[in-house]
Amino acid sequence: MYETDKEIPMSRKNSKSVAATLTTATCALLGTTSTTPVNAQEEDEWELDTALLYYNEDGNRVQDISFKMLANRNFVDDRVLSLSLGVDSLTGATPIGAIPFAGPQTFTSPSGNQVRTTPPGEIPLDPSFLDTRVALTANWQQPLGRLSSFNAGLSASSEYDYLHLGANFKLSRDFNKRNTTVSMGLAFAADELDPVGGAPMPLTPMLDVDDLSNRMGNQNKDVMDVVLGVSQIINQNLIMQFNYSFSSSDGYLNDPYKIVSLVDPVTGDPVPRIPSPGVDGPSHEYRFESRPGERTKHSLFGQAKYYMNGKVLDASYRYMTDDWDIDSHTVDVRFRWPIGDRSYLEPHFRYYTQTHANFYRTSLDSSLPLPSYASADYRLGEFDAITLGLKYGWKTESGNEWSARLEAYSADGSVPANLLIGSNQGGLEMYPDLDAIIAQFSYSFGW
Amino acid sequence: MMSSIGNGHRAFVIAVMLILTLAMTGDPARADGMLNLNEYDGKVVVLDFWASWCVPCRRSFPWMNEMQKKYGADGLVIIGVNMDSDASEAEVFLRDYPAEFKIVYDSSGDLARQFDVIAMPSSYIIGRDGEQVARHLGFKVKKQDEYEALLVETLKQ
Amino acid sequence: MKKLNTVASALLVVGLAGLGGCSSMGVEPWERDIMAKEEMQLTADPLEAAIDDHIYFSKEASSGGRGFGGGGCGCN
Repeated sequence: MYETDKEIPMSRKNSKSVAATLTTATCALLGTTSTTPVNAQEEDEWELDTALLYYNEDGNRVQDISFKMLANRNFVDDRVLSLSLGVDSLTGATPIGAIPFAGPQTFTSPSGNQVRTTPPGEIPLDPSFLDTRVALTANWQQPLGRLSSFNAGLSASSEYDYLHLGANFKLSRDFNKRNTTVSMGLAFAADELDPVGGAPMPLTPMLDVDDLSNRMGNQNKDVMDVVLGVSQIINQNLIMQFNYSFSSSDGYLNDPYKIVSLVDPVTGDPVPRIPSPGVDGPSHEYRFESRPGERTKHSLFGQAKYYMNGKVLDASYRYMTDDWDIDSHTVDVRFRWPIGDRSYLEPHFRYYTQTHANFYRTSLDSSLPLPSYASADYRLGEFDAITLGLKYGWKTESGNEWSARLEAYSADGSVPANLLIGSNQGGLEMYPDLDAIIAQFSYSFGW
Repeated sequence: MMSSIGNGHRAFVIAVMLILTLAMTGDPARADGMLNLNEYDGKVVVLDFWASWCVPCRRSFPWMNEMQKKYGADGLVIIGVNMDSDASEAEVFLRDYPAEFKIVYDSSGDLARQFDVIAMPSSYIIGRDGEQVARHLGFKVKKQDEYEALLVETLKQ
Repeated sequence: MKKLNTVASALLVVGLAGLGGCSSMGVEPWERDIMAKEEMQLTADPLEAAIDDHIYFSKEASSGGRGFGGGGCGCN
């Protein structure tokens, strides 16, 4: 039998007598010889992308410095081995979920070893954030027959309180002379949490120093993702892509370090607490957060890339909805503007908006029974975020590429009136707005 | 081919060829002229459709050079049909991957359409009698021996 | 917000439906010069995309959704 890529015409219709073919004019149109580098895809055996990233949030919050590397080893006939390594060094503080208050507030640290005090009026942060994270991925890609390809990969990451292991697969098939590509991907993750001091039992109080009676052992979280996508070349300059994603998480979905303030129903002030005699402990009543043990997400994503005489417009939109009642919209636009033959400028704009989870509470009414689920995590709240960035890239004579980008990320939250309790909360910053700088320097080369 | 077309038609074809030759613009030293496959009667022709942006094409050129050298004396003629819309891109490619076989230019895509090209690169093996013997879609380094065996078989005729 | 949801869903359904009937849309295999360019790949910079994904995953409630195959030179 003949292979798919070697076809011997069987019918008279296919059998072209070349001799009868009309002579064809195949003339060369002389254009000016351009100094453009030969098309971008050099056939290097090894291609390395490296990046140095600096991320910093305003107000002494999180700071991250990381180095990331992606290596592609090309094997004969379109097979590729991809390996990536990322090292993150995280420092700084993050809001723990307690509301600010006119007076000072004292909290027990996650380890239970000590207390920390937040000055009056400030958003309580947990300053004991110091972490190094290492992440690795490996991926193999190869064709399956002429029109299909297959990807299989593994991922792992480790930080002092979190371990992730994952596997992913993808299948793609081309149609319509390769103008259409249909893909399906599957990813599984098995994560293990080992929080400092032990995972607290949800909705139990934050206790005095050295009291770990409400802590549990290691926790697990499993995630399954399915993505279905289709990409279509519309014309010579325009390609579009549409994806549908489904994600299902199961297990311990809480943030073990986040709490919710218990407040007085009339004033809205945190309920004071007196630690046991001779012991340090929290100054007010706080409860560890509680999230459902399951989460299902659906996303729809669309992207278009349009080439306009050297410039490229990349625009995408994503809609996400889940069973925690969070809805989000993401609009992302990049415009790549070539400068001469070797460099480019790329402004970037991103707009993100999300509604809050149905169990999101900025504080809890101390006179009412506790709900089953409650979290004051600002990442589950209602907010709009804008990213504005600029990237500059340039290619050297030898085909290596440098780039630098600077972006500003600003998230502005709002707390619905029905979540406010009592008379004093209206004047407080109940949602910790976020302003961050992202700076990245990259270098890509191959051999 | 000429013998199978009547006298009137032959004249027409020659006229068309002449008109097209005159209508051409471009540096005469570079214009590879028209692809008249008649010239290759009795030879085995490999028509390879390639472009400067096609990565597997870079892998195929050294192999095609080798085949042309090895079997040229036996009557093998490899013709690379360049599909770049801007021929200067092809020039840049050829500087890095020189071709020791004939190159013609089909920026309009007429020849590709005629041969119903559905993949890049594509090569068409045409026997000594002018009949298409086989078509290869894509170029796989691992199949070089197979490709060569087919050439040897076709050259035997 | 609800209206935006409806519009968004409608757009995406139309998009998907439109793609279903597009067996004639596209370009000839030899007309992929622009699609072959590095800057025209759907994920032109996989490292940066991964970095961004991780940043936004850490700060927002949504993640992923993008990335996949298609386009390019369509060779072999």
